[in-house]
Amino acid sequence: MAMTRRQALALPIWVGTTLGCASVGRRTSPVVGGYVELASGGLAAAPATILVAMPDTPQTRQVWTGLGDELGKHYRLVAIRVDGAGAADVIAEAIRRHHPAGIVLMNNPTVAAYRSYQRAVGGDRFPPAVIVMTSFLTGHVTHVSCATGVSYEVPLITVVTNLRKLIASPLERIGVIVRGAQRAFVAGQAELARREQISVVEQEVSADPNSSELKWALRRIKRGIDALWILNDDRLLTPRLIAEGWLPGLNERPFCPTIVGAASLVSARQPFGTFAVLPDHVALGAQAAELMFDIADQGWVIPPDAQVVLPLSTTTAVDLEQARAHFSLREDALRQVDRILDQD
Amino acid sequence: MTPGSSGEPRLLVFLHVAAKQRAFQTELQAALPGIVVTAVGRTGDFDRALGEGQDAVLTLPVVLAAHGLAPILRGVRQGSADEKYSLVGAQATPDPNKVATVGALDLLGRDGTAGFVQSLVGAHPKVERVTKVEDLLPLLQMQRVEAILLASRLLPEVKMASRLNLSSRELPATVGLPTVAKLAAAGAQVLPAIKRLPNGITRAFGVEEWR
Repeated sequence: MAMTRRQALALPIWVGTTLGCASVGRRTSPVVGGYVELASGGLAAAPATILVAMPDTPQTRQVWTGLGDELGKHYRLVAIRVDGAGAADVIAEAIRRHHPAGIVLMNNPTVAAYRSYQRAVGGDRFPPAVIVMTSFLTGHVTHVSCATGVSYEVPLITVVTNLRKLIASPLERIGVIVRGAQRAFVAGQAELARREQISVVEQEVSADPNSSELKWALRRIKRGIDALWILNDDRLLTPRLIAEGWLPGLNERPFCPTIVGAASLVSARQPFGTFAVLPDHVALGAQAAELMFDIADQGWVIPPDAQVVLPLSTTTAVDLEQARAHFSLREDALRQVDRILDQD
Repeated sequence: MTPGSSGEPRLLVFLHVAAKQRAFQTELQAALPGIVVTAVGRTGDFDRALGEGQDAVLTLPVVLAAHGLAPILRGVRQGSADEKYSLVGAQATPDPNKVATVGALDLLGRDGTAGFVQSLVGAHPKVERVTKVEDLLPLLQMQRVEAILLASRLLPEVKMASRLNLSSRELPATVGLPTVAKLAAAGAQVLPAIKRLPNGITRAFGVEEWR
């Protein structure tokens, strides 16, 4: 079972994509080992080129659509595939060919490859980069020079606001099982959530909990909360922990709605997540584009105090059978959901 | 099946409603049998669908005008073909003359939407665009903007979803209600069907009757 949203799907490279008012892209033959341009478009005689470094997945394609719809009217865009060994060299080749004014980096391995490229080149003069689809990106980006980005975790305040439209019962106390490494992240989310009178109840577990500890944590926390927010923490979402910890713990009374951040964790076949609230990837691309516009307006410079921004737009999926069995849904709840699992 | 391949007229709908586009399209399609309905909420999707060929378009007059399309059927509510918009802030009532950042639904792309907002507000705030009604509230929750701009009839939806102390100011300028343009001969079949849409559906985008 796929544990994280970051696991890319292996799909054929798409042969063309429309960028706003621009032309169809094409795949070029590898020249420097592994160098593949997935697509290009935008204004052919544009004053600047934006390089997009990305693996080829359905989600990254959606981000590309959002980027292209916005930036393609003003700039030329080139998407290169970044995947596996040699990724830093691919990025270096793309920068050599296209001299981008700005760069968009999608996902953790791509950012790691770009960081390797920066270290190899040395210095601190690089085109500004906007990072998306990486884990727990917050605050001021320090691990990559000249970068900012959009966080990939949907803020808890947004999650609960959306769910209040679906569930008739009060949603005020949100429980979260957290390892020490994520406490700072949760604290930041809790502070923001207080604006909407949402309180966060934490139950800390060890750095590497087993299923017994997880079940114990679930039993402790479930009694005093209105919903359980499950973090996209890989250490807590191993197949074993899901099968032997989460599922038994969640499927005993008292039941509470569980909110997950990965589509794979909401399934009509398995009563794990009740609701999944995920970033809207096309909107994420548009949000990243707006950051790039702001950077361009500043002369292609990222302000030294620039902070990562939170994602604004989400998509929601519901395990309808589970939701109806245990919780009270609002009358028009299904009009507020993007994907209903029992109808798949 | 390619939309329209069976000869059914094609209607493109570009409206922002307080529901998911999926649900909105399903409701519209059920109410418009014999018409292939595509409902979108993003300008990019609108441009692409328009480029694929449509027989009629239902959207705001300002969008039709931007694409050089002429309205043929106008939505009306309480005797008027226009409606009021409001600026909404968290805690303080927004002053349109002083507001520096405004969140708004993206109707016309980056430059066009900024111009639209400026025409309503009267000043030149920085505009943060979103593509869904539900995405306006996060702009206030995260303090990304000082105020959001939306049709006054959508205020209850936003206020119901939030416990922020929201305060609104209705603006003097008005915006045209949703309107239909005919793009091809087959569009003539769409017009009477739209006139027969149930009020329960048309109220979602602010229309009570058609003229």
